[in-house]
Amino acid sequence: MQRTTTQTGLLYTIISNLRMFYEGSRLSYIALFHWLRPSTYLASKIIMPLNQILFFTFLGEFSGQNTRDFYVIGNAVQMAAISGIYGVTMSIGGDRWAGTLPYLFGAPSSRLVMFLGRAFFHILDGAVGVIFGLVLGVLVLGLDLSQADPLLLLLAIIAATISSSGLGLLLGSVSLVTVNVWFFNNTLYFLLLLFSGANIARDDMPAWMVAVGDILPLTRSIEAARRVAAGGSFDDISGLLTVEVLLGLFYASFGFTFFRWIEFQARRRGTIDRM
Amino acid sequence: MLQTTRQYTRTALMAAEVVLKEMAVDSFIMFTIVIQPLIIALLGLWMLRDRPDAAIYVVVGSGMSGLWSSMVFISGNSINAERWTGTLEMLVAMPTPLYVVTAGRNLAHVMQSLLSMIAAYAVASLFMGYALDIDHPLLFIPSLFFTVVAFISFGLIMAPIFILSPAVDQFKNGLEFPIFVLCGFLFPIALLPEWTTPFSYLLTPYWAARALHESAHGGGDVGVVLASWAILLLSTVIYVAVSRRLFRVILRRVREDGTLGLA
Repeated sequence: MQRTTTQTGLLYTIISNLRMFYEGSRLSYIALFHWLRPSTYLASKIIMPLNQILFFTFLGEFSGQNTRDFYVIGNAVQMAAISGIYGVTMSIGGDRWAGTLPYLFGAPSSRLVMFLGRAFFHILDGAVGVIFGLVLGVLVLGLDLSQADPLLLLLAIIAATISSSGLGLLLGSVSLVTVNVWFFNNTLYFLLLLFSGANIARDDMPAWMVAVGDILPLTRSIEAARRVAAGGSFDDISGLLTVEVLLGLFYASFGFTFFRWIEFQARRRGTIDRM
Repeated sequence: MLQTTRQYTRTALMAAEVVLKEMAVDSFIMFTIVIQPLIIALLGLWMLRDRPDAAIYVVVGSGMSGLWSSMVFISGNSINAERWTGTLEMLVAMPTPLYVVTAGRNLAHVMQSLLSMIAAYAVASLFMGYALDIDHPLLFIPSLFFTVVAFISFGLIMAPIFILSPAVDQFKNGLEFPIFVLCGFLFPIALLPEWTTPFSYLLTPYWAARALHESAHGGGDVGVVLASWAILLLSTVIYVAVSRRLFRVILRRVREDGTLGLA
């Protein structure tokens, strides 16, 4: 009897956390784009990214350094960072701007579930954005994906969105204590264009640039996507994607630790209502 | 007449001075006019490293990208910025027209945006060792002047449009890269499909970029540069005329609606 009660309690906790995870992530995503409006979504998630792909692809073509496909794939996968960095940061920071953070800190729910939930829909949304970019590449820029295994490509895309969302969770936590988060977000986004290999082949980079790229998200998923497009198998990309996802989890756990520290400090100093 | 002109000039310059001070400590603005164009310049310089002759093209082009980003993200909100700081009501009530103050703000935005070109020039020249010579300085300097004037006047149109149509303001993220592409800031528009060329010709930044590129790096074809100047001048006249009408419309509307100070 005692065991059954414990199991029921555990089941209830799991269901409750899953519901909290789903509802929290869904509502924060809806709230973000309800506030931003469809025109902002269209501009930020479709027009800007697609034109960014065109811009860097034509610039790359002007340079004659690599093939057109190199730039299309690199910049399409880079689109994951729009949802991962900007979307996730705004979802977490939104609680501060909307004044709902004290209620979240006061809620008796799992912080981890609540925290990770803020990234969930952006991971899906980011994947859709990358697929949009690749479709544009095929239709407008003649990207050749005839050798690519769609499932492996999807794995590379999901890994890209997970790793960039991990960084977004960290930046989102930072946004709770700073007013300059957009400076960091924008700078990081553009640095990714420089260091991730989206536009410059890593073989052509000096060692210090390669080292910087190694600790940033997207570097390995861009490489994996290029290998898949060239007909690569799961074995060719599994190592890259494992490291990519682990890096995303590292950023997310660092972000979560920071989030808990902020909560602890706010409680200790009695400043929750002033955040 | 002379006294009025002097008063308006003084007001515009004072507005520019205040805005320059404000912007110097705004990290978002610093990103828009310095960091982003600089990263674009570094990317361009690295990608075009086998073509040292293209370095000045990248420097000028990245500067143009900073200028345009500043137009979209900063000048577009010139009037909104006064709303947010609670000074719009006072500006509207004073005898100097609002567009004079807005022109002063835009002057500050454009002048500060030129920092992006200077920063890219410094990086390419000092850190990457490119020999950056402007082929035709006597054409380049007037080209820069006409560009600045055209962009200031274009900002005069954007500010009221952002008020009249909030959808345009919300759409601004989508206004940046299409212009970089269509105006040939960092690569010739000949790379684009032919059907896009008429759209490029309709855009003032294209003519500004063309005049600057032609005088900095191109053959210095005087005909091309003069034609670009003429179009920039014509655009300026049209923008100023349209903006004065727009300013009248929005000021009448917000007074009728009682929404002057409402964001």
